[in-house]
Amino acid sequence: MAFRFIHSSDLHLGKRFGQFTGDLPAKLREARHASIGKLAGHAMSQRASTILLAGDTFDTETPAPDVRRQALSEMGHHAPIRWVILPGNHDSLQAAQLWSTLRAEAPENVILAVEPRPTELAPDVILLPAPCTTRRPGRDLTEWMDEAPTPDGTIRIGLAHGAVQSFSEEGTGLDVISPDRARRAGLAYLALGDWHGGVAIDPRTRYSGTPEPDRFKHDRPGEALLVELEGPSALPQVMAVETGSFVWRTVALDLFDGEDAVARMETLLPEARLRRQALITLIAGGRVRLEARAALASAIANARPDFAHLDFDDRNLATECQAGDLDAIDRAGALREAAEALLAEADDAGRPAAERAIAQAALARLYAYAQAVAP
Amino acid sequence: MKISALRLFNVKRFAGRGVALEGIGDGVNVLCAANEFGKSTSFEALHALFFLPHSSTAGDVRSLRPYSGGNPLVEADISTEAGRFRVTKQFYGGRSARIVDLANGRLVAQADEAENFIAGLVRDGSAGPAGLLWVRQGVTGIEKRSRSEEEGDTRVRTSLLESVQGEVEAVTGGRRMAEIMAATEEALGKLVTPTGRARTGESYAAALEARERLEAEERRLAAEVTALREALDGRAAAARRLAELDRAEDRDGRRKAVDAAQAAFDAAKTQSEALRANEAELRLMREQRDAAERDLVAFRNSLERAADLEGKLAEAENMRREAVIRRNETAAAAASARAESDAAEAKEQDSRALLARLDVALKAREAAERLAHLEQRLDAAEAARRQIEDAEAAIALLRMPQDSVEELEAFDVEIARLRAIAEAGRPAVSVAYEPQAPMIRLDGSPLNDGELRSFEGNASLAIPGIGVVTLRSGPASGQDERLRQVEERRRVLLGSLGVDDLAAARRRLMAAQSKEGDLRELKARLSLLAPDGLAKLREEAAARRAAAGDHLELKEDPAQVRAAHKAAEAERLAARQALREIEPMQIRAADAFVAVQTALARLDAERTQIDSVLGPPDARTARDRLLADRLANLEAGLSEKQTVVDGMKRREIDLASAEAALRRVRSVVEAAEKEAASLREQIAGLAAEIRARSEDAIEEKWRETADALAAAKERASACEKEVAILQRLRAALDTARGHARETYLLPVMSELRPLLGLLFDDVSITFDDKTLLPHKILRNGQEEDVERLSGGMREQLSVLTRLAFARLLAKDGRPTPVILDDALVYSDDDRIEKMFDALHRQARDQQIIVFSCRQRAFQALGGNVLRMEEWVPG
Repeated sequence: MAFRFIHSSDLHLGKRFGQFTGDLPAKLREARHASIGKLAGHAMSQRASTILLAGDTFDTETPAPDVRRQALSEMGHHAPIRWVILPGNHDSLQAAQLWSTLRAEAPENVILAVEPRPTELAPDVILLPAPCTTRRPGRDLTEWMDEAPTPDGTIRIGLAHGAVQSFSEEGTGLDVISPDRARRAGLAYLALGDWHGGVAIDPRTRYSGTPEPDRFKHDRPGEALLVELEGPSALPQVMAVETGSFVWRTVALDLFDGEDAVARMETLLPEARLRRQALITLIAGGRVRLEARAALASAIANARPDFAHLDFDDRNLATECQAGDLDAIDRAGALREAAEALLAEADDAGRPAAERAIAQAALARLYAYAQAVAP
Repeated sequence: MKISALRLFNVKRFAGRGVALEGIGDGVNVLCAANEFGKSTSFEALHALFFLPHSSTAGDVRSLRPYSGGNPLVEADISTEAGRFRVTKQFYGGRSARIVDLANGRLVAQADEAENFIAGLVRDGSAGPAGLLWVRQGVTGIEKRSRSEEEGDTRVRTSLLESVQGEVEAVTGGRRMAEIMAATEEALGKLVTPTGRARTGESYAAALEARERLEAEERRLAAEVTALREALDGRAAAARRLAELDRAEDRDGRRKAVDAAQAAFDAAKTQSEALRANEAELRLMREQRDAAERDLVAFRNSLERAADLEGKLAEAENMRREAVIRRNETAAAAASARAESDAAEAKEQDSRALLARLDVALKAREAAERLAHLEQRLDAAEAARRQIEDAEAAIALLRMPQDSVEELEAFDVEIARLRAIAEAGRPAVSVAYEPQAPMIRLDGSPLNDGELRSFEGNASLAIPGIGVVTLRSGPASGQDERLRQVEERRRVLLGSLGVDDLAAARRRLMAAQSKEGDLRELKARLSLLAPDGLAKLREEAAARRAAAGDHLELKEDPAQVRAAHKAAEAERLAARQALREIEPMQIRAADAFVAVQTALARLDAERTQIDSVLGPPDARTARDRLLADRLANLEAGLSEKQTVVDGMKRREIDLASAEAALRRVRSVVEAAEKEAASLREQIAGLAAEIRARSEDAIEEKWRETADALAAAKERASACEKEVAILQRLRAALDTARGHARETYLLPVMSELRPLLGLLFDDVSITFDDKTLLPHKILRNGQEEDVERLSGGMREQLSVLTRLAFARLLAKDGRPTPVILDDALVYSDDDRIEKMFDALHRQARDQQIIVFSCRQRAFQALGGNVLRMEEWVPG
């Protein structure tokens, strides 16, 4: 009998997103909570009995009571689907209070995997959890799985949170999980958390990624893994399911002189309806003419309200300037002289890059002003 | 550049026809024609030729077309340093631009190249004032682009600035520059104050403030989170420790250890008490033995001491006896010495008294002798005094007034003198007798021969022989009376003196003087005898008499007495010396006696004491034996007890270590309990703290704030960059404008000044050095604001400014024509005349083309008059 479950991690419930303003942080926070329902929905539709959360369910060791209670209520609502919550580095066992409170409050269908002890998930299906004891345990917590005794013929599923090789979300890399833990411990599947973008280490070892993205780093949609295990030695059948409500993307806009910068930008950005749920960082590079630059800036300003968030980074965008561009400022006189002085400064290789950038920006600004006032 | 001809075809009103202005020369050229005659068209065509691209279809170009449409053609002949050229432009259909060199008819450039050629002509470098030497009807500058007229008075000054600066506008960037500058300033002003600080309430300040606030907040929250994590860690550690403490087997182990230690301690305690009782007994016995031993030793020592004392007492008795003898001896010696001394003393006193009496007697005798002597002197003195008194009495009888003798003498002399005088005055008779003649008698006395005899009154001369002759004389003279008076006084005087005559008086005087000499001698004697006066002498004598006592009779010889006294004195000293020697010996003997007596007493007391210890001498031996036996008995008992105690001690369990062990195991239990209690408290406290913080969602807030801080930092740095950009732009604009001003505006101003002087001899304008604006107008000595300038003056200023520019360009080697299209509509004729003086003056090296409709005003103004001719393009 095959065992189907949903593998997810890094819900980071309660995360606040202080870098944004307005009601976006609240929306993003709400979206994180909504991922519980989405996971449950997938489990229901895919007939998966269990949802394994591989750590960092909560963003902090001391989540606010509303975050904790509402999460448990939502999970409880989806019974009989079973939730297995593993302490991660953000909500490690060090937060004894959190876990004792959770123990007290958790509904029946929520299992807290707080001890490294074989736990039966189903007949012949044993879960081997490796809860994070502290924020930085400093050792491979999955090591015990190698020796953990289970009856022959059981499906052994590992559940752990932390870095494998370089996949560390926090970049510490001290507590590295052995990449061949699944093989060594005879695991049918090792469900990992911590890395927010889904990735397969090997056919039996995977990071599910977060169900709701929270940063631009990964450029992946929010997703979870639907895993089916036919038997102790069969390769797992894994399928990604979409769970994200917001898209976080970094878009590179490489421009060449003479290109229609605005048109190119439009092709790179998502279609209008999706923009509401999109957080985009547009990184411009290459070279543009003064006119195109001005046009691009105004197009960005124009497009910004479409998006949940749109960031425009033009630090690496150089401005190409030709005589005609200066003519557009003025054919002669002091304005022309000022423009030429700025251009010379911008092109002066002997100056510090920062000064040149300022001069270039000042020239672009002059151009924009010159276009705004009557000729 | 100079224009020598202008031709146009199919331009505006000249639909399908052409006109030409030929022969435009140097200096002032005037095309004077009525309105709607085509001069403005000419002006516009010329402007289009130079400033509108041939390919343009902009409004300006469109307005060139006639209503009927068509392709406007404009052509001008120009001369430059490079030669003479024909510039032709056709707009719309067959649009073209061509430059032909008139010298050889060669096509120099066309299309865009031709445009570049034209641009080079009018602009000649990018920074020059491009083709701005054009003045249109009623337009004094660039006002047509502004809304200044509608904006009211506040703009007047600015537009005036522009009227003067019109040309300069292009150089300085003009209105666009001003607007861009304003836009820059506005954008910058929203971010920073003029001093470069972030402006309160605006986005930059807000970003900086947010960054600061968030930094502080983040720090605070980070600290709280750290505290929270510490609390979490602390709570975990405490819980772990508590679990260890609460393990059941550990508890039992601790309890058992306590019980065992307690049992061991109790056993040790019982044993220890028995030992202590035996030890007390042992101590008592030892004390008894020691006492017995002390008694025996004391008894034996007393025996020895008693024997010793007997000897010492005998010796002391001997010494006492000797001391008594010695004391008595010395006492006797001292008594005899004292007696001798007293005798010598008495003897010496007697001899001294005798000596004193002798002295008294001697002195009395001396005094008696001196008294006798004094008495003698007193007697002599008394005698002297009596003699003096007698002498003085005698003298008193003899003494006459001092001058009475002299007076008497004077009387005698006077009498004699008066008698002589009387004699001389009286009749006298003398007789010379014949020999043997008888003697005549006068008044009875013979008158001797030759004797002259005087007489008084009547005299009778008895001449013997003859009879008696009576002689009569006159009555007696006054002299006789005086003589009688003097004689009377002398008589009185003599009477008073008691003498008969002067001689007697003299004798008496002599006698008195002799007596006075005696008296003086006597007085000297007296004074010798009693130098201090007789009274004093008498007092002295009386005193001495009183002092003189009884005379002592001196039988002894004073020398003998003195020698005896001396001997007695020596005797006394010797006796006293002897006494002084004997006295200390006596004292020492007494002291020695006391000392020996004391020692004896002491020894006696000691013997009495020892005797009391020892008891009666016959019982002493028995007592000694008794004491020794007792000591031996006690010794035996003691050693027995000691053996018992030593045995017990060997078997004793160490009570202290049993107690210490008990204490230790108890303290282990207590410490464990205490720690457990404290851990529970700690856990409770930490739990409360953690709950409080997690309810405050500190960690979430911290992460939120950290994210917000990152965003705020970016915003702040974006703002900083924006400020830098705007400041850089402003600096660039400032620099460029400043440069333009220095290069063009200031020279133009200096060119303008003399021109103004030409036109307005009664007006002078001052320019603000900084803003280069006309500042004040001095008209008829009255200062006025520039705003008061009339439209006429403004247009004149405008024209003059262009002339100034043209001059500047000409000086720069780039002569440029000045073209005026009804530029002087507001000016009166007089002013126009003056203006033309200025133009002519200017036009010596400057081409000026004037289009005007004011035929009458311009008729008399001279200049090269232009005429429009029909023209068909060739």
